[in-house]
Parts: sequence; structure tokens; C-alpha cells
Amino acid sequence: MAVAEPKGRSLVRGASRPAGGLLLRSASLSYLGVMVLLPLVALGYESTLPGTAAFLKALSDPFARHALWLTFVTAAAMVVINAVTGTATAWVLVRYPFPGKGFVNALIDLPFAVPTVVTGLMLVALYGPTSVLGAFLDRNGWGIIYQKPGIILALLFVTYPFVVRSVQPVLLEMDRAEEEAAVTLGASPFTVFRRITLPTLWPAILTGTALSFSRALGEFGSVVMVAGNRPLETKTGPMYIFGEIESGNRHGAMVVSVVLLACSLGVLVVLNRLQRRGGEPGHGR
Amino acid sequence: MTRGGRSWGGAGLLAALVLYALPGCAPGFGAGTAGSTDTLTIGAYSVVREAFHEAILPAFAKHWKATTGRSVRFEESYAASGAQSRAIASGFDADVAVLSLEGDVSRLVKAGLVKKSWKDGPHKGMITRSLVVVGVREGNPKHVRGWDDLARPDVSVLYPDPKTSGGARWNINAIYGAGLLKDKPTGGKPDKQAGRDLLARVQTRVVNMDASGRQSMATFERGTGDAVVTYENELLLQRKMTGKEAPYVVPPATLLIEGPAAVVDASVARHGNRELAEAFLAFLRTEEAQRILASYGFRPLDPKLDPPGRDPLPPRLFTMADLGGWTKVNAEVYDPGGVWDSLFTDRPKAAGRGR
Repeated sequence: MAVAEPKGRSLVRGASRPAGGLLLRSASLSYLGVMVLLPLVALGYESTLPGTAAFLKALSDPFARHALWLTFVTAAAMVVINAVTGTATAWVLVRYPFPGKGFVNALIDLPFAVPTVVTGLMLVALYGPTSVLGAFLDRNGWGIIYQKPGIILALLFVTYPFVVRSVQPVLLEMDRAEEEAAVTLGASPFTVFRRITLPTLWPAILTGTALSFSRALGEFGSVVMVAGNRPLETKTGPMYIFGEIESGNRHGAMVVSVVLLACSLGVLVVLNRLQRRGGEPGHGR
Repeated sequence: MTRGGRSWGGAGLLAALVLYALPGCAPGFGAGTAGSTDTLTIGAYSVVREAFHEAILPAFAKHWKATTGRSVRFEESYAASGAQSRAIASGFDADVAVLSLEGDVSRLVKAGLVKKSWKDGPHKGMITRSLVVVGVREGNPKHVRGWDDLARPDVSVLYPDPKTSGGARWNINAIYGAGLLKDKPTGGKPDKQAGRDLLARVQTRVVNMDASGRQSMATFERGTGDAVVTYENELLLQRKMTGKEAPYVVPPATLLIEGPAAVVDASVARHGNRELAEAFLAFLRTEEAQRILASYGFRPLDPKLDPPGRDPLPPRLFTMADLGGWTKVNAEVYDPGGVWDSLFTDRPKAAGRGR
């Protein structure tokens, strides 16, 4: 994840190499083109076929607008929580010895392996009305399942590894001399973290949150199990897309997909820029 | 729309092929007619799977053997009605289509695969019947009797999303129709506002709309909701399969569900098994087949064949024809800006709850 940047540069370096490099370059770039770019272009092209007016009309549909809004809001809430908890988890994993660390380390990637529908099922089992916890929450009027908090919980689960896995390697490689110097100069642990550690970690945290945000914009399988699917209440963008496809409104579905994808792409491009500027001082351009 | 239809059909076809690959779904692939064996390909909606696979098809095989001396081999595919219909429309060569909605057969007529006259036969092309009912918890603790009870603030309701489940429209139409035809017994006119009003009040109590009727039932079984709007045959089938009680209430005013079947003209022309396909369709309407379907939870076409112990038909039973037919209801309720959309867009904030 965080290694995307160096890879990009090695491609540029390959430019000065002879034939072999050229072959590899064109092969991998064509692969990217066919596997990723082509389907996206096809989607974008088809969504604009009926014209700009139709595109804007589909976008101004109140159901589509609300679904998009809900997707962004829940993803944003998730990102804030993830940035904090993910960094803390990585910190604990790197800086503190504790029994069972290897197991915990393996556990972190598990959300990637769990089918998202199963994630939804687990959340319903845990917070749903039949569980002790769910019944308790229900009695106190804190609805989680089939409400917006359920959506955020599902997003948190499926995107959990991103921030941890971006921050962890940076923490591991970090030179601790500066931190130690700060401590000897009398800085409190919090000041050390804020003034020394955090500035180094920022780009990695940003990478993790941006990746989780992009991932969350398209999350369907887990959210559909816990959201309740009520239009203008708990129906997210991907659920809207599914509903419109199934009911024959292919264009409306495509327009919303294009918006979600464009936002994801935008986030990733901005991230790349920020990384190049802030993340690698000294390398310049 | 035609563009969309075609590419979606592609996905449907793929789904049909995958279904074929599943063991148990199909004894084999290919239209090879070996010796004295005839082959019949059936594209049906998932709800009839148990009844067809376990009972109807073996019974027909026996019947066919007795009348013609020939064996019959079935190729079976079961999928959600809409997906099955799209699969056939885009090239899945089912000889007989058994679907849950008239509209799914109309799609095949539009594609030129089924004769326009498919509804001319007995029972207007329908082979199964059922009722829209309300599944409740053991002992009906919330005392649900009819649709109005589903609008009570202490009752939480489940039904599938009509956007993703064609079959869900039966459920929505039952509630809408009960309001619409409320004054009909006393000679009143259909009241669209009353239909919308009843539906809007029930919708405020809906906690979760699953993608399909089966998923809605699964959510109910996992403990969510006090009531689930579903088909009587789903609950009776569940009772038969699991042996567990599946308590339900038949509202006094509810909709008669009618499921169609049709011979796919284009397929039987290609396979040369028109006689077999038509015999099968006719068999589905015989007393024998209707009794089998009834034992799997359906209401027989002839009410006299109703198994003992079944609830009597409700006093104010209505049909899609009473509501003006599928075309009219689809346009009125489900088209963009129709009654369904208005439930959400025209809802006064917070005032919707309870009333």
C-alpha cells in the first residue's frame, strides 16, 4: 500500500534502460489499462451516452443525492475513528512487547479475508435484537443494526487493516534518536509524540485513511446486511446502485457509480500528490 | 432500455449456466435425446424448487411413461423470477418457464419467445396460487390481525424491497390494494389516496427491507421484527421442511397471488419437444399436480382441492385484476415519482411515526 510510490519511481528509472525495460513497461501498463482502466472508461462512456442533461437529472434525483450523501458521511465518520484507532494499534504493536503478538498481528488482516456478507451477519448476530447486547441497546433506544451506526460499524470492520498496515512499517523503520533526544531535553511523552512522531507518521496515516475512505465508498456486502435499506434514511450509494440496476434503471445506477468512482479516484490522486510533497522531504522532484 | 436488457441478459445467462454447474440442479447438460428418453428443460423461479424437484417432476415422468411409454429427463434451473426471466430472454433455452409474476412472462413475449396467446388457456396462464399473509411470532404476542395493526407504533415490520425483488410487489400491492379497495364492499370506488395512506403508515414501521423474500424471512427468523409480510406458501413450505410452526395471520382483505407458466415457443421449436412441453403445462393444472402443489403450501387453482386444516379464503380477497392489472399498478405505484417513491419524498419529518 505505502510502497506504491517507490514502485512508480522505479518505472521512471527504467526509462533509461534498453529493450527489456520497454517490454516490461508496455506489458504492465497495458495490463493495467485492460484490467482497470478499460472497464472504468466503458462505465464512464456509457453513463454519459444519454447526454449531460440526463446525467445531471439522474444525479439530482433526491434518492440518489441522499444515498451519495449518506455514503460520504458514514465513510467520513469511519475515517476519523480509523485514523485514531489504527494509529494506536500500530503504535502498540511496534512499541510494546506483549504475549500473543504474532497472533494479533495475523488477526489484523482478517477483515480482508472475511466475505463482506459474513461481516454483516456477524454484526447482526452481535448487535441484533436476539443478542444480549442488542436487546440492551434496544431497550435504551440506541439502535445500531438497521440504523446509521450499523453502517459505520460495518465500514470500520472491513477497512480496519488499512491504517494499521500503513502506519506500522513507518513506525518500525523510524529512527528513534530524535525521540530520545527530545526526552533527554525534558519533553513530555505527549509532546514527543505530537512534535516528533506524528509529523513522521502523517503521510502514512493519510495513506491509510484515504485507502479506507475509497474502499468504504464502494462497500456493499456488509452494509446491505445491517443498514435496513430504507430510502432517504439508511440506503447508501452502493445499495441505491443495486436497487436501480435490479429495477431496470441502469443509467441512474451508472451515474451514481461514476460519482463514487470519481471521488475515490480524486482522493487517491490527491493523496499521491501530498505524499510526494510532504512524505519525502529531501527527495524533491 | 433495450441496450440494458441485452447486457443484463448476459449476466442472467451466466447465472443460469452457473446454476447448471451445481450438482443436483441439473442431471446433465446438453440437449442429447438418447433412445426413448425425452428431455425437458425447465426454467423456474426458486420458490417452486422443492415442489418441482421432489414431487411434480417425478409425478409427471410417471404420467408421461404411462401415456407415451417414453422416459423423460429433466434439466432444471431455479433462480429468482426476474433473473430467470432475463436469462431465458437472453438465450437460456428453457422449454417451460415457471415464474412468479405475469410481467416476467411478458418480458418473454416481448422478446418473441413466448406466444402472445399464452394467457388464453385455462386460468389465464396461471398454475399456482397463494395469499399474501403476515408471519408473526409464536402466539402472536402483538395481536396482529390485519394491515392496520402493522402501522401501530409498537409493531416492527419486515418486507423485501420492491426495487430488487419483483415478488415483493405482491406484498406491497396487497397492502396498497387493501386500502385502495376498502370501500368496495359497500359499493365505493377505488380510493388511491386511502391505498397510499395505508402503505405509508405501514412503511414507517418497516425496519429492514431485504433484497428478496427469502432473505426477509431469514432476517425474521434471526429475531428481527414482530411481523413479516410474505407469501402463505413460503411459511407453509418452511413448516413442511423444518417441522417447526410458522405462525401467520391472513388479513381479512388480502391479495391472491397467481403464478404463471408458459411454453417457450422458441426453445421447443429448436428442441422439437413441443408435445412434451405442452403436456407438462397441462399436467401442472391436473388435480394430481394441484394436490402436490397444495401439499407444498400453494393454494390449488380449484378451491375444492384445498387440503383440510387450511385457513378459509379471507372474506375480502382481491386479485391483481381488481386493482386494474399489473400494467396499471406498475405505472401507478412503482414508476419513478409513483406511489412508492412518494412514501419517502412526501413524508412529513418525524410526523410519519405512529400517528
